[in-house]
Amino acid sequence: MTTMTAPVVTTGTLNRVMAVFRLQFVNPVTVLITPLLILLAIFAMNLAIWALIMANLDASADRAEVAEGFQWSGASTFIFFYMMVVAVQAINATFSFALGLSVTRRDYYLGTALGFIALSALISTILAVFAAIEEATGGWGLGGRMFTAIYFGDGTWYERYFIFFALLLFFFFTGSVAAAIFVRWKGIGLTAFLVALGFATVGLIALFTVTSAWDEVGAWFLTTGWTGSYAWSLVLTALAAVSGYFVLRKATPRG
Amino acid sequence: MNAVVEVSNLTKKFGSFTAVDNVSFSIEENAIHGLLGRNGAGKTTIMQLLTGQDFATSGDIRVFGQSPVENASVLQNLSFIKESQKYPEDFKPKHVLRSAPWFFPNWDADFADQLVEEFRLPTNRRIKKLSRGQLSAVGVIVGLASRAPLTFFDEPYLGLDAVARQLFYDRLLSDYAEHPRTVILSTHLIDEVSDLLEHVIVIDQGRIIINESADALRGSVSNVVGTSSAVDAFAAGREVLHREGIGGLASVTLSALSDADRAAARTAGLELSPVSLQQLIVRKTQVSEKEFELSA
Repeated sequence: MTTMTAPVVTTGTLNRVMAVFRLQFVNPVTVLITPLLILLAIFAMNLAIWALIMANLDASADRAEVAEGFQWSGASTFIFFYMMVVAVQAINATFSFALGLSVTRRDYYLGTALGFIALSALISTILAVFAAIEEATGGWGLGGRMFTAIYFGDGTWYERYFIFFALLLFFFFTGSVAAAIFVRWKGIGLTAFLVALGFATVGLIALFTVTSAWDEVGAWFLTTGWTGSYAWSLVLTALAAVSGYFVLRKATPRG
Repeated sequence: MNAVVEVSNLTKKFGSFTAVDNVSFSIEENAIHGLLGRNGAGKTTIMQLLTGQDFATSGDIRVFGQSPVENASVLQNLSFIKESQKYPEDFKPKHVLRSAPWFFPNWDADFADQLVEEFRLPTNRRIKKLSRGQLSAVGVIVGLASRAPLTFFDEPYLGLDAVARQLFYDRLLSDYAEHPRTVILSTHLIDEVSDLLEHVIVIDQGRIIINESADALRGSVSNVVGTSSAVDAFAAGREVLHREGIGGLASVTLSALSDADRAAARTAGLELSPVSLQQLIVRKTQVSEKEFELSA
């Protein structure tokens, strides 16, 4: 009896990673179509509200004041949080399935991460186009602000694109860590993680308060600026992305 | 003969529970193997370890000569179909069948289409709306059409009706004849698959109690039937795996009879009958439990 030393067929790493990438989009309804439809619905609702408010104001001074208030719109924040949900759902749903298709955890994570980056780029593009139109049309002719809300900075179109992209990456990869923890340690692990995260946040707030450092924190954000502050989020995002891999590497599929 | 799988001193513990207990075996290339045993015997755990889905506590696993854990060149050549396979909830069978070929280099699309037709699988219905049998059909189709050199079927046909099960056996056997590969089939329906199996591994409480060719196994025990007195006289001093009696008649299951033994039985007016694979495994598993209780 001899031992077989060579497997029968192999394909390259890129092929395998791209297969997982495609798997994330084989049914695009959940990851792309549903969130975009909801975003459109929210946008339509906002248009209606802006129109209603403006129709009831006569003085142009009042209109200017209301339009000033519109910049604090939180309407588009939905898409960012929803992408975190997409990340959690996608990993929870496809991890066991992909391993059932004889995929390694490494190829799975790389392909999935690439999918999240591609989704971030695509949605950022859509948001940036809407933002450009919003700017060019004076808020859709109504002074409305949804895609140029104050949190998306006051820079050029590409700075805004970068902010969308960085934000989406942040939500995708924090979602990935949460999903990886859930897949590996189930609900109890995720609960423990969230509790620990809560304590860490409170601890940080306490630290800044006790050391009276809030002024410095505020000053730091002011000098770093919108774009710079979002750029720093990429450090957290990268940390989350790498942690997600190490958590998932020892996870076993359920069922 | 080549060994596709070589396992030595493999142990897997979940906390204090030992699911696989210091097991060693090898699996020959291009044969259909039965991995049999009771619920909770450790069959699924062994398959999860062989496919890199779970991690061994100790011991060594070689699949195609290499460790399967996170090893793409090994995993790409195997297909593991399990009864409890999870599918993404928003998927339909068409999504599974569209994506599976990306992962299996030997995928045969025509064969998959043919199987979809034969199993009458509705490909455009949500996975969670499928019946248990239809869900099993998804796995069976992926397992057959992927044509992986090493294919595992773990209870693949829960909920499939008798016609569909026969279809599975027929397609497995004919495709295996055209494209020889190593198949490991785990099932409770032992008699249904006994004609398919060339080699049988029986596992009980995490240990391998039988690892033999199906033919040798069938020849290893016989039923002896006759009047109680004649049967007991003949059985005296032999290993009796099982005895049952009705009125003045008795039937015993004995291990390994020689030709001389058989002749002696016939002259004593006893009848010899073969033991089905299922009965045989039930008998042997019961014996192992007795031994286990005695040694405990």
